[in-house]
Amino acid sequence: MKMNIAEYKGVFVFAQQVDNKLSGIALELIGKGKDLAKDLNTEVTAVLVGHEVKDLADELAAYGADRVILVDDPELKEYRTEPYAHALSSVIEKYKPEIFLVGATAIGRDLGPRVSARIHTGLTADCTQLDIGDFPMNPIPGKEQLHNQLLMTRPAFGGNTIATIACPEFRPQMATVRPGVMQKAPKVEGAKAVVEEFNPGFTPDDKYVEILEVVKSVVDTVDIMDAKILVSGGRGVGNPENFKLLDDLAEVLGATVSCSRAVVDAGWKPKDLQVGQTGKTVRPNVYFAIGISGAIQHLAGMEESDLIVAINKDETAPIFDVADYGIVGDLNKIVPALTEKLKAELANKN
Amino acid sequence: MDFMLTKQHEMARTLFREFAEKEVKPLAQEVDETEVFPRGTVEKMAKAGFLGIPVPKEYGGQGCDILTYAMCVEELSKVCGTTGVIVSAHTSLCCDPILTYGTEEQKQKYLPDLASGRKIGAFGLTEPGAGTDAQGQQTKAVLEGDEWVLNGSKIFITNGKEADVYVIFAVTGMIEKRGRMSKEITAFIVEKGTPGFTFGTKEKKMGIRGSSTYELIFTDCRIPKENILGQQGKGFGIAMHTLDGGRIGIASQALGLAEGALERTVEYVKERKQFGRSIGQFQNTQFQLADMATKVEAAQLLVYKAAIAKNTQKVYSVEAAKAKLYAAEVAMEVTTKAVQLHGGYGYTREYDVERMMRDAKITEIYEGTSEVQRMVISGALLK
Repeated sequence: MKMNIAEYKGVFVFAQQVDNKLSGIALELIGKGKDLAKDLNTEVTAVLVGHEVKDLADELAAYGADRVILVDDPELKEYRTEPYAHALSSVIEKYKPEIFLVGATAIGRDLGPRVSARIHTGLTADCTQLDIGDFPMNPIPGKEQLHNQLLMTRPAFGGNTIATIACPEFRPQMATVRPGVMQKAPKVEGAKAVVEEFNPGFTPDDKYVEILEVVKSVVDTVDIMDAKILVSGGRGVGNPENFKLLDDLAEVLGATVSCSRAVVDAGWKPKDLQVGQTGKTVRPNVYFAIGISGAIQHLAGMEESDLIVAINKDETAPIFDVADYGIVGDLNKIVPALTEKLKAELANKN
Repeated sequence: MDFMLTKQHEMARTLFREFAEKEVKPLAQEVDETEVFPRGTVEKMAKAGFLGIPVPKEYGGQGCDILTYAMCVEELSKVCGTTGVIVSAHTSLCCDPILTYGTEEQKQKYLPDLASGRKIGAFGLTEPGAGTDAQGQQTKAVLEGDEWVLNGSKIFITNGKEADVYVIFAVTGMIEKRGRMSKEITAFIVEKGTPGFTFGTKEKKMGIRGSSTYELIFTDCRIPKENILGQQGKGFGIAMHTLDGGRIGIASQALGLAEGALERTVEYVKERKQFGRSIGQFQNTQFQLADMATKVEAAQLLVYKAAIAKNTQKVYSVEAAKAKLYAAEVAMEVTTKAVQLHGGYGYTREYDVERMMRDAKITEIYEGTSEVQRMVISGALLK
């Protein structure tokens, strides 16, 4: 089966919504989609799927969607694999996009592969970078070099290698994209997009899952080994009350608080929050070492973190040898300031 | 060359042995099980004058030689490794540097209380990042007006929290040596109770469990300018020289542990019967004991030689290193064999030898690991 690739045009993004509220990833994808569309001299289209979600179209427009395709049906009220996959596949079959992006959320990771299999095209999961370029990237004698391909880059093997993948022979080129990596476009108030309603029709069958209950739980104690961001305090925090500064920072970042052995020994925190040789070995994406001098016994438990930020008043503290970013100064001043700044920054992003 | 102890030494040894048997031995097991510092025993030792043996009489000590002191640690360690190290750390690592490097005022101020045992001493050099590599210190001391301000921490400090007087080492600046910048280290005397001087973790150890091993924490700890020990920048040399003496103390502790384990094993194999006779009648037992006794005596001669060298020579680093290296390795070997010859009973905590085996291991590690001793010895050989 050879598809007519020339028929496929435009960049489409799946505008994920939950409880009639757009997810952040939807806006990030529009932002990235705009860049890609510009390179291809085309438009970016958001595909909005749900029930009674029409009024979300304006928000999609404000963040840069040129066009919104709305699939609105009672069957789409809550996310279910089968009707959603049917909705997206039908949109692709009708509109023939060149690129189709889905957020790599729990929903997107379920939906993306279903749709790509149904459409019979390639999908790259959990991408962290997307570019328009040539494939193969460097010319190979005797092999035609294709232009304007979507080059999808993703970490593989637990982040130990980076793979750039193309999908030259099938369309759309599909990718799920890691949330938080792409930038939203600046919001343009009052922007409008062309809204097209499209309903492929839904016939519930035995492939339709029945949702019995949706449970929203607030997790209080995360295992520090599973945390993506750790805000870790040492003896330099001074006293248990002062950990409130770290709690505030952690709350803003959706992070977990951990600590050094000195803090456990002082009785300020329980042992299961201890990072280090005799505590837990952690590998978060970001590790804040606050008031931690960085003895080797502690470093052994966290030096594999992707990014280490150290705050310490002693510029000769060994923690700075492993830190990617370091601030020398009083944590009592720095941490609250950092918390405020991040709060403002995140408010802007959302 | 004379291998006979003098009459005074013999009398001193008898005194130490009687004290150890009567006061220390009955508590050894309990001290190990409960991990409690034997304060009562320390008070009794103070009364008996065991805490100032090599300190001159004018500073309130006993005015004896180092050999007498070594024998005291040896006899105590025969029954309890914990008690041996309390005396050793106090005497070698705190009294000795104050006696050697202190000003007359400092000696008058600190030694009478230390030598009489009214106060206990300790020594703070090791840090999380500076063990064998003692130059890797991070603790800092900055002179502000007429006070030194200390910031940092020390770990694994013997007699920590129980001691009243601490000899502490800290970085006071950077100096250029042969075109390379290196840390300038200085020694200080810091008293317990000084604001900003607190204690962190108590270590849970495999052996010498009654010895109180603590982390020391200095947070803007201010001490008087006159509490500097020796000259500014001479701290590293002071630490090394102090440890030379301390190694004689630890060698004595290791020797005592080995002797204690050997004594108990000899008694045990005479009583224990298998195959219709005492296990001491089996040739394997006999040969094992012969090896153990020979090594113990070789260790003893090295330890005593080093003790005498400290009294008679200016530099005795190599003698001390050989004594500690050999005595510690003999202690480990002999206590391990002692457990074996006790069989299954030796592995129970009802018998003393398993405790001695646990206690012996540390003698290969603290006050310079066996590897450090080999560095010292070979360094002198290849000079």
